Amino acid sequence: MYLTREELQTRVRELGRELARDYAGREPLLVAPLKASFVFLADLSRAVAIPHGVDFLELASYAAGADSGGHARIRLLKDLDTELAGRHVIVVEDVIDTGLTLNYLCKTLSLRDPVSLAAVTLLDRPYRRLVEDLPVRYVGFTVPDELFVGYGFDLEERYRNLPDLHVLES
Amino acid sequence: MPDFQAYRGQEPPRFANRAELECAKVLDYYGVPWQYEPTTFVLEEDEDGRIVEAFKPDFYLPEQDLYVEVTVMKQSLVTRKNRKLRKLRERYPDVRVKLFYKRDIERLAERYRLELAS
Repeated sequence: MYLTREELQTRVRELGRELARDYAGREPLLVAPLKASFVFLADLSRAVAIPHGVDFLELASYAAGADSGGHARIRLLKDLDTELAGRHVIVVEDVIDTGLTLNYLCKTLSLRDPVSLAAVTLLDRPYRRLVEDLPVRYVGFTVPDELFVGYGFDLEERYRNLPDLHVLES
Repeated sequence: MPDFQAYRGQEPPRFANRAELECAKVLDYYGVPWQYEPTTFVLEEDEDGRIVEAFKPDFYLPEQDLYVEVTVMKQSLVTRKNRKLRKLRERYPDVRVKLFYKRDIERLAERYRLELAS
């Protein structure tokens, strides 16, 4: 086991307090890319004790794009239901490593005229970053270069429901 | 060869191995502009000014101003490459370069299901 449910909850509550303090009176919108971040978002949302919105989007995975044949580009499988103009937007990520996904998301969401755009991530691997200029304002845990399951992270769609975070042995 | 859309070079890239091709495909998928081996950095010259050692990183990401070198060698065999990288950083301290090791590529492969067999 890498992080217990208690350690996860403690840190998520801290992040929630930071967000509530920084966004007081601004009613931010929490935007979560499906699927792995849904558990983190659910806990984080309940820890942010100010009015805020929640919305989801889904990006086509690289593997799915490559499998489809032809030349693949990242695209939205599910778009947001909420207008972003005039909103303070916080992207809620499960993990950031190369930063390629978040870079695409930030470019795409910025075109919709939010007042501000920031990101919170449960896990971070900053040493693997290819894109540095990202608005990562809040980090739960900086983690080693391991694969994880539990707390939303899956192995072929299994184990997302585990309450603790486990290192996947290769 | 895929029809790369984020490629910003002049000549069609000729990749040295499958890992480089797969990295290019990932960059292209995410719309990150990239060039392939655009710059040769001189690391050492002899007394007559002839180049005796140089380093040409595999990728350059212009939006990030970052060079990326991909190596599929085992960690234990990358000493020479690490030494070159150290010399590059000493001689060109303003150049940002990142080495992607075999382990990093394998992690990318696990996450993106890349084809690295050949």
